[in-house]
Amino acid sequence: MERKVSLAEIKTIAKLSKLSFSEQELANFSEDVNSVISHFEKLNRLDLQGVSPTSHISWGQPPLNPDEAVVWENRDWVLEQAPEVCGRLIVVPKIVEK
Amino acid sequence: MKVELFKDFTIADYHKWLREEKISLPELIEAFLERIKSIDPDLHAFLEINQQAALTEADILVKGDSFDKELAPLWGIPIAIKDNICVQGLPTTCGSRILRNYRSPYNATVIERLKEAGAIIIGKTNMDEFAMGSSTENSAFGPTRNPFDLERVAGGSSGGSAASVAALEVPISLGSDTGGSIRQPASFCGVVGLRPTYGRVSRYGLVSFASSLDQIGPIARSVDDCTRVFEIISGKDEQDSTCAPYPPFSRNDIPTEEEIRKLKIGLPREYFSGEVEKGVLELIEQSIDLLRKNNLETIEVRLPHTDYALEAYYIVSPCEASSNLARYDGVLYGFREKEGEDLESMYLSSRTRGFGEEVKRRIILGTYCLSSGYYDEYYLKGMKVRTLVRHDFEQVFEECDLLLTPVSPCLPFNLGEKTKDFYQMYLTDIFTIPSAMAGLPALSMNCGYCDHLPVGLQIIGPPFREELILGLAGFLEKRLSLTPPFPNFHQ
Repeated sequence: MERKVSLAEIKTIAKLSKLSFSEQELANFSEDVNSVISHFEKLNRLDLQGVSPTSHISWGQPPLNPDEAVVWENRDWVLEQAPEVCGRLIVVPKIVEK
Repeated sequence: MKVELFKDFTIADYHKWLREEKISLPELIEAFLERIKSIDPDLHAFLEINQQAALTEADILVKGDSFDKELAPLWGIPIAIKDNICVQGLPTTCGSRILRNYRSPYNATVIERLKEAGAIIIGKTNMDEFAMGSSTENSAFGPTRNPFDLERVAGGSSGGSAASVAALEVPISLGSDTGGSIRQPASFCGVVGLRPTYGRVSRYGLVSFASSLDQIGPIARSVDDCTRVFEIISGKDEQDSTCAPYPPFSRNDIPTEEEIRKLKIGLPREYFSGEVEKGVLELIEQSIDLLRKNNLETIEVRLPHTDYALEAYYIVSPCEASSNLARYDGVLYGFREKEGEDLESMYLSSRTRGFGEEVKRRIILGTYCLSSGYYDEYYLKGMKVRTLVRHDFEQVFEECDLLLTPVSPCLPFNLGEKTKDFYQMYLTDIFTIPSAMAGLPALSMNCGYCDHLPVGLQIIGPPFREELILGLAGFLEKRLSLTPPFPNFHQ
């Protein structure tokens, strides 16, 4: 499992994560990620053939709510949290050209 | 009135004083607010004080209730809330710049339940950003200090919740625990902290970090107070589909002392290794001797995959975090960087300036482990190891009723000591992560002091058996004869 995550890979990952870094920061994060994943190598000592994965712990069938719309009474409170509003609409940068 | 008077109080004692009118509820709340005002500049346990609303709430309670009838279980008891749990109208910053100006428009289910039980929300407590950390040094608003030694960390991520209870700024608080974030700070601050079974307490209104692991739990100055808060917050909730359809915990289910003496206590060999500091180990062993002297049977057990749980956790939790934290994009709420000319650059600059270094590190790590080509090698592998860790516990609970271990291999460390080497920081949670990976309930309680610093022991139980854990903790607390903490750091 030992793999050196390249600077180019970190750049791609940062882009996917919607984070931007300076060259120096990229180098630091690359070092950090390589350091952490070098510890993951330890897991290769285990025989995981046939072991089923546990994605979450469940204690039986989770209860399901009816698929019904519920009116949120505090609409104004929610809108107050938006960084920029115009009336009852949230303002975002333009995404379509004229 | 000074809060020093209350240093040995439990909730029952506060209620007795209030009934006997030795103190009025507004006076009680004023006393705690005064304490916070006096010592929190040194401690920095709080990010927000709910002063006016707490006093108003006290007035409402007094006007609405008569002492002739039975008081609600937490009537008038001030409580501090970790700043990743939503309280309507108060900030929920998660210790992050990206949520600095966010105020929650609704209450978490646990808050609704606490309010119904008469508790008074006194403020929001400091934490590692998005609960990612073990020392509260990752808070964007500065670290919380340990009340036993202001140059040391309070632990994390619920450092503010643990320190505030230890310093008696409040009698009780709520924290959240993903890999040890209630138990480790409770241990470092000498208080009681319970991580309930995964699904025992609703997480509606808890800001997500790693959804398959996060749990809300109480922090208190005694096992009895911890039990009382847990009783209020536990139980199913339609708003949280991961909340198990089990009845709420009841104090009536706690075993008698006679029943406790019949419990078989497992001591996992992997938790008593050379990695544990000598002073910590000695105190844990003293508690084990105490149990033996009281005729409890102890047996050595094995949890062979313990050594792999930390690595699996640092695959699984960043993967989940990288997905959960995608929601912070500067659009609907939270920090927005105005400089972004288009949507993409707004996302980039808002997230880059809003998140701190550890959060970015885990987002990068999680995104990498989930990315095409590496999913099988990391995330899938992490989930498989989690299965092995879980099976270890299932097998061990066929041999014994509860497990007793240290909470942390080390004493509270100095501020800045582990910030340069983040993997050393991760290692401080080595004994709390495995039970979290298995979804099990576990409690941290003080078992003595080494060099004037508190040491915590951990009791881990089978799923939904909190009554056994709390029963044994109460049994030990009584026999350890330790009074609740009252560190004298501030004259």
